[in-house]
Amino acid sequence: MRSIGRTARWSAFFRSFLVQGSWNNRTMIGGGFAFAILPVLKRLNRGDPAGLSEALQRHSEHFNAHPYLSNLALGAASRMEADEHSEEDIRRFKAAVRSPLGGVGDALVWVGWRPATVLAALLLALAGATPAFTVLFFLFAYNVGHLALRLWGFGVGLERGSRVSESIRKAALSKKADRLSGLGVFLMGGVIGSAIGRSWSIDNWPILLLAVVGGVWGLWLGSLVGQKVWRWTFLGVSGAIGLIFLVGWIG
Amino acid sequence: MDILSLTLLGGLLALDGTAFGQFMVSRPLVAGVLTGWLVGDPASGLLIGGILEVYFISIFPVGGAEFPEGGPPTMVAVATGALVPGPAGIALGTFLGFLLSKAGAISTRFLRRLNGRLVPDPSRRRVTSARIVWAHLGAVALEFLRGCALSLVGLLAGGLLVEVTSGHWPIGLSGTFVLLTVGASLTAGAFVGTLGGWRRRGVLFGAGLTGFLVASLVL
Repeated sequence: MRSIGRTARWSAFFRSFLVQGSWNNRTMIGGGFAFAILPVLKRLNRGDPAGLSEALQRHSEHFNAHPYLSNLALGAASRMEADEHSEEDIRRFKAAVRSPLGGVGDALVWVGWRPATVLAALLLALAGATPAFTVLFFLFAYNVGHLALRLWGFGVGLERGSRVSESIRKAALSKKADRLSGLGVFLMGGVIGSAIGRSWSIDNWPILLLAVVGGVWGLWLGSLVGQKVWRWTFLGVSGAIGLIFLVGWIG
Repeated sequence: MDILSLTLLGGLLALDGTAFGQFMVSRPLVAGVLTGWLVGDPASGLLIGGILEVYFISIFPVGGAEFPEGGPPTMVAVATGALVPGPAGIALGTFLGFLLSKAGAISTRFLRRLNGRLVPDPSRRRVTSARIVWAHLGAVALEFLRGCALSLVGLLAGGLLVEVTSGHWPIGLSGTFVLLTVGASLTAGAFVGTLGGWRRRGVLFGAGLTGFLVASLVL
């Protein structure tokens, strides 16, 4: 086993923040992965330019995963390179982890953690928090989870190498993602309830009633259509605003 | 605030979106308040950013799918909306935010194609470390420039729209509120639908709604 060295480890970790920098349809984050692992490969192949070139070749191939959890693959691939696993083993490992790391990461972060923290921040804003406090709360809460996940992934990968699947199973990330989704739905209900409560006054009840009826219809239709509804919503609302401006301009 | 500073902010927000870090500075809520501070109206920034945030909540960037961009469009929405007082500013900001979010998605698609030519293809030729580093950092720089260009175009278009639409918003605050609420409820519904649907998550949603409604009325 060869030593990776502290400087190369931290350099790879900090470079991982740029892993999606050259996202493309051919290699996806393959170029970013090679960019991030480069300090480790340079350290392991000191005085061996042919070895470095071969290692770069295999790490710049097609790869994709959730950007935060790609650190797990980055750490594990670094360990496997240090342990002198065969080229085929490393390729097979990266091909095996990319789908699970993508699926679990998307569910945990994009569908679970991010909406939960942003909805909590919106609730604070509706409760009267200042813009500064609202934003700082969101950035702090979100990034505590974000950085913890990146550090955990990289650390576990470096420690366990090709045996990371056991650590992923133990971490029960899917279960955590499901709980966060539930929290997100609860907070979404809270944001709507809080918005209705804050808009309420005896003078504007007809408008509020109209908004509630339209809102209930929208909630029902949106849940039926699912994620793709944003296309029609963006088009419909911007079209309606444009039309109203036009009517105002003509009239 | 001058147009150059806002354009540079747009470039930085675009970087945070995908290429660098994803610390979520590019979320509409944060981008809105940041721009609000720059133009001297953080309250408008929070309002427009918060509205756009609800519209963006059900969009998950999974599996490399094309999705609307949030950061630079929100910056333009707030910088433009803050120039127009009252509901017309909110409406104009939202309008621009939606249009530019689509323009952001299209320009990202083209940039990703360009990145495909920039990054070395290991199946075709030998990959060197210098080639990896320069191609990667070059792609990051292009993303920054794309964000700046989108922001600049948006700000110029916004300035023009302020002139054209000034004083022509006939429906007042109540009508604007209803329009935006109905639209936002569609994406909120999609959010619940994607995260398990009413049958599985209805009780949680109802508990949140009732609890916070009562709390906001009582407190």
